[in-house]
Amino acid sequence: MSHPEYEAQVRAALEKVWRVSRHEALSRLATLESFLHELRSGKTDERSLSSAQSAAHRLSGTLGMFGLKEGSACAAEVESLLCHESGPNIARMGKLVGRLRILMEEGPSPTRTWEKYGQ
Amino acid sequence: MPRTLLVIDDDHDIREVAKTSLELVGGFRVIVAESGQRGVAIAHDSRPDAIILDLMMPDLDGRRTLAELKRAEETASIPVIMLTAKVQADRQELMGRGAAGVLVKPFDPMLLSDQVCEILGWVPLEKDQP
Repeated sequence: MSHPEYEAQVRAALEKVWRVSRHEALSRLATLESFLHELRSGKTDERSLSSAQSAAHRLSGTLGMFGLKEGSACAAEVESLLCHESGPNIARMGKLVGRLRILMEEGPSPTRTWEKYGQ
Repeated sequence: MPRTLLVIDDDHDIREVAKTSLELVGGFRVIVAESGQRGVAIAHDSRPDAIILDLMMPDLDGRRTLAELKRAEETASIPVIMLTAKVQADRQELMGRGAAGVLVKPFDPMLLSDQVCEILGWVPLEKDQP
């Protein structure tokens, strides 16, 4: 089989996985938004930080597979910010989480994933 | 006879996408495991041709799973490719622990099979056909 033939099958499989996983991904985003709210109100704890780190880690590792490469990059930067000993840069994190919301509401664009194959 | 790969990752999406990609694009037979403990057990029983192993997992993480695989005589020779979302992951350190290579998440599903073959020195399936 040529790559375009594989592509159609893989794309269909990815869309199926994304339909099932979208809710979970949005839940992870909600975890980040909730932590951001806590940061802004000065009411964070280790448990919520750990949850936010886990959510950012999983988003960074998965979104790009579905064509949301910018989403993965945003989540990776959020994860990095959350690991700062002095605490995250709230303004930067707010921008990144806001961008993640926009990207994830738009949903994946499979063509972003397959650019290398001329689609 | 297709080669068999074992994918060990605690994230359901990554297991699903990797399995789909490696089967459809690479022509591999793929087994998945959701934890390090389960992966070690499957590797022991099924003796896959190679293992793709997530670095960050709860309980038995990727480093400890790799150590267990390399410690057991039955699985020590199976090449293990580490999968990580940490761009700054220490490639040399993982190679020093016995990893055959490192793949960075998120991977491109269309390129994953070629990347695995490149790391392991395998000929991709379509090029292997007469």
